[in-house]
Amino acid sequence: MRSLILILSLFFAGAAMAQTRPVTDDAGREVTIPEDPKRIVTLHEPLLTLPLLELGMPVVGSYGRGDNGESLLALDFIENVLGADGEALGISGIGAPGNIDLERIRALEPDLIVGTEHDAQKADQLSAIAPVYLQNSRSGVVSGFEAEAALAERFARTDTFDAKKAAYLDRVAEVRDSLPGNPGEETYLAIIIYDQINVISAMSGAIQAIEDLGYSKAEWQGAGKASGYGSGFAVPLSSEAFGRLDPDVLVIMNSYSSDERDEAAIRARLDRIVPGWDRFLKPAREDRIIFLDSGATATPTIASAEHTLDAFEAWARD
Amino acid sequence: MRTARRLDGRRVLRFASGLDVPLANLAAAGFLLVLVLMIMAYALGVGATALGIGDALRAVVGAGIGDGQAFALWQVRLPHILLGFMAGWCVALSGAMLQSLSQNPLADPGLLGLSQGAMVALMVLLVFFPGLPHGLAPFVALAGGLGVAALILFLVGWDQADGLAILLMGIALETTLSAVASLLLLYTPPETSYALSNWLAGSLFGASWSVIAGFAPWFALSLPVILLVGRSLKSFDLGDETALALGENVRRSRPAILVAAVLLTSASVTAVGPLIFLGVIAPHIADAISRSTGRTRLVLSALVGGLLVVAGDTLTRANTSDVALPTGLAITIIGVPLFIATLRLRALRTVQ
Repeated sequence: MRSLILILSLFFAGAAMAQTRPVTDDAGREVTIPEDPKRIVTLHEPLLTLPLLELGMPVVGSYGRGDNGESLLALDFIENVLGADGEALGISGIGAPGNIDLERIRALEPDLIVGTEHDAQKADQLSAIAPVYLQNSRSGVVSGFEAEAALAERFARTDTFDAKKAAYLDRVAEVRDSLPGNPGEETYLAIIIYDQINVISAMSGAIQAIEDLGYSKAEWQGAGKASGYGSGFAVPLSSEAFGRLDPDVLVIMNSYSSDERDEAAIRARLDRIVPGWDRFLKPAREDRIIFLDSGATATPTIASAEHTLDAFEAWARD
Repeated sequence: MRTARRLDGRRVLRFASGLDVPLANLAAAGFLLVLVLMIMAYALGVGATALGIGDALRAVVGAGIGDGQAFALWQVRLPHILLGFMAGWCVALSGAMLQSLSQNPLADPGLLGLSQGAMVALMVLLVFFPGLPHGLAPFVALAGGLGVAALILFLVGWDQADGLAILLMGIALETTLSAVASLLLLYTPPETSYALSNWLAGSLFGASWSVIAGFAPWFALSLPVILLVGRSLKSFDLGDETALALGENVRRSRPAILVAAVLLTSASVTAVGPLIFLGVIAPHIADAISRSTGRTRLVLSALVGGLLVVAGDTLTRANTSDVALPTGLAITIIGVPLFIATLRLRALRTVQ
């Protein structure tokens, strides 16, 4: 009987070991992760939870959510981007934003914790609960869907990713055909407004969609210089430089931390920063501005890129 | 060892060596020690996991508990309590030393720029060299703190330095370093900036047995520091000239005390972030509990510092709302009303 128990134990131990594999994460850490994680906790909602949910992975805990799954952040990204309900998906919180609670994470019994490279300092602590995998997310290091593609490859979800991307590329072709002019020969510039005007450089699904449509980024005064406020993602632009912008298509969005992100709100905010902008800014006079909802388009997901395509299609139709 | 009455009328415990310890101070130390143990015991039962004080105390002495409860106890609560106490002890001790050194009741490692020196050095490490091993952090913080201390002594003049000059120069450096810290926060990616802001607000998130093991030598250092500098601080309390007249080698002891304060402060900053204001309020609360000088004041201040950090961390863990409560803020919420009460009490005593 004892021999049988021993054999069975060795068999199941071997099976369990076969379900994990050692990998090197983007922070250069050696970590043994499950082949097919069943309970994932993420440390960043827009950058990690959304791409993982899009890949159909089982996220049980996400930074910025309450115990019942309600969003505690300025914006419910799951609802805005994926049109889903975090509570219905069974996603719990891991403590108040800014106060990650190790006991709460442990109570979720995760088999994998996914963070960004900015979470490297927390990795040691979290490793006592489950393996911690760190995925690059920084502007200038990854852009568009690259982080999602990397996660898909790491967790054997490339089929799901490829299928979604193929459908997205079909939609890109469809929208491109509906646009006036030839995007392949035209330029764009994307602006996001915080308390000042900023040029978006990379990262979001929006930029991926715009460039997949064929637009290339316009030159602008100040491009390439060192920048503040999260260099790489949003680079401050003076009101004077803003007034001189003249790309073929100017994309403008309000900050995703703002409750009001529609065209009227964006116009009102610009009126406060640069009064009369719509009379002297050439793209405004010639109706070459597309207003985007940053809450739906700013995440590095295919869904965000598709929201962007919808906005371009609506602009072309009008 | 016997009880006696000193010339100032205070009853003291007189040791064979001639050392006098006022009975009121002994009682205060005992009271604070009991309070610390009670708060620590209470803190064992506070957190998201269902684990009462009784279960926690039984588990500490060997009783079996569930995996989740064991994790909460051994990986979260005990490390938080121990590291919090040690860090609070060291910061408050630094504050008490600096107040005597500068003869200014406002002095603390933050006001003199020592915390900011360690903090900015760590921020530079995290922002510009994120790939370097985390084990370097204590040494980098130490270099930052020592750099500020050396700069203060250099700028005010090694020989001429008096308490007020050190304080004013410290304020100038603190202002400059705070501006540098703001600049670093502004010009880093949002996630890095956010993580740094959390750390700057004071956090025991990183508390673990390995961090405690790393911190333990610095905590242990505080004990000989108390023994060695206590008598000198008693002289400094009376002013530089009197200290000199009493035979205090000011030229040697002042930098030595400053270096000791830097060592303790830097270690604390590395472990829990800069606990701003703790170094000011803890000695004043200790004074309100029992008026003391020298070594006794250092011990009482350090006990109050440890107590406040453990209480602050417990409040943070007890917070079940969706709004974050950083440990630094929790310490302020608990400490500032006590600080105000002590000042009112002192004002009333003065009037009487």
